[in-house]
Amino acid sequence: MNEVYVVGAGQTDYGSFPRESYRSLFKEAVDTAVASVDAEFDRESVDEAYVGTLGVGGRQLGLPGPAVTEFAGLNGTATTRVENACAASGVALRQAVLAVRAGVADVALAGGFEVMNDVSSERTGEWLGVSGETEWERMAGTTFSGVYAQMADAHMAEHGTTREHLSRVAVKNHANGAKNPHAQLGFETNLEDAMNAPAVADPLNLFDCCPTSDGASAVLVASRDAAEELTDNPIRIAGAGQSSGRVGLFQRPSLTEIPATQRAAEQAYDEADIGPEDVEFAEVHDCFSIAELLAYEDLGFCERGEAGPYVASGATEPDGERPVNLSGGLKSKGHPIGATGGGQVVEVFKQLRGEAGDRQVSGLSRGLTHNVGGSGGAVAVHVFEEGWA
Amino acid sequence: MGAYVSLPTWWRSNDSRYRLVLGKCPECGAHNFPAEGVCASCNADADFEEVEPEGTGTVQAVTVISGGAPPEFDEYQTREGAFATGIIELAEGARLPGMFCDCDPSEISRGDRVEAVVRRLYEQEGVPRYGVKFRPVE
Repeated sequence: MNEVYVVGAGQTDYGSFPRESYRSLFKEAVDTAVASVDAEFDRESVDEAYVGTLGVGGRQLGLPGPAVTEFAGLNGTATTRVENACAASGVALRQAVLAVRAGVADVALAGGFEVMNDVSSERTGEWLGVSGETEWERMAGTTFSGVYAQMADAHMAEHGTTREHLSRVAVKNHANGAKNPHAQLGFETNLEDAMNAPAVADPLNLFDCCPTSDGASAVLVASRDAAEELTDNPIRIAGAGQSSGRVGLFQRPSLTEIPATQRAAEQAYDEADIGPEDVEFAEVHDCFSIAELLAYEDLGFCERGEAGPYVASGATEPDGERPVNLSGGLKSKGHPIGATGGGQVVEVFKQLRGEAGDRQVSGLSRGLTHNVGGSGGAVAVHVFEEGWA
Repeated sequence: MGAYVSLPTWWRSNDSRYRLVLGKCPECGAHNFPAEGVCASCNADADFEEVEPEGTGTVQAVTVISGGAPPEFDEYQTREGAFATGIIELAEGARLPGMFCDCDPSEISRGDRVEAVVRRLYEQEGVPRYGVKFRPVE
């Protein structure tokens, strides 16, 4: 199997940018990724491009992929739009990896974009929650935060997880995001404010929920031969796992597990020939605070049911045994749906190369990204290692 | 418009919406809701035996939606305020999502016994749509 390396990665700031378009944001992400490549990079060397977007607002529902690649100097490049809800660009990355492994591409681009803040509140209502199960879950009045709230309710009842455990996720991720210039909500908070924020979907409050965001991300991957021409500081994609799961929470045997995460992680660990104990740091999908706790358990970072005490122990703080969401996560950095998976790679790429500025943790050599679509209908997990294989 | 359930799609599910018809798998005996597709428990692609449940169940998880309901329920939320919605496990074993009614939303908790009642859910394109909600069993 051909080895695959990340040779460049970039993202826009996440936030609300009424003067930008989905195309200008995507181009900025590609420009930033190209600039991050150590050697001169020729855009015409990109053989395949995979672009993730949900299409919020409906702005270019057909052909959004070519619409952004042509704008970013990749006109003519084989471009495929990937839609797997919030996991769109994590899945796009796996497609790029598969293309290089197959020998179809020497260099491939994976990325994504979303613009969520330029539509009226009336239309926003139509677009949020579209990745829940539509026929039954939505028609029971369930919102997207509502589905995760139900998971939180069940986790609290089954495992004794507390209000404070949930809020600790928010406090940690805001502290990290405050050091990330790309972050949308780059401010610190404290336990008292996070615990007493207004309710959104009980038991989740405002500080348990990520914001709606505009933004884009882009990742450049290459075969070993191509990577040797482009960098002396390679980041290898050691494992690429993906799984689907039942779209509706009510259809799953457990309300406190995401089987697609478990399966995708197992595949990624097997490919990398590691176990969860070997993961030094991770960017996980914390669209809601409970989602980060579920990720700890489903990725094997702690025992089942122990995610609350695990976060409370400080294990996932920057100075803990396994830092999680050093970027600020979706909670603080933001969550432009189609861009999120690629944006997670940007953080891992920077941390492994020692380029993460104020939030750099020293001595890291292996990281993981975990990107979830909906409440678990699609999951991509990737393992990254510093150096040539 | 974002997500949407067309009228034909709604009508084809009427047996599930009004009577909660379950599909019993002839291979493993599990009850499936809705009664279509492969068996969620054993993946068998077999003809389900239709079972009409008695209509009571237990709350497995619940949330109170304070704002930002799906657009279909905008009018309901404007009129009624916060509402509770959750996942109910029927006595026969299958799970389904459902909204709670005839009670204060904050009263519903995991483990509560509830029963299905047919209610008007929402109106779209001038056509009212009906289905079950769940109310506490005294």
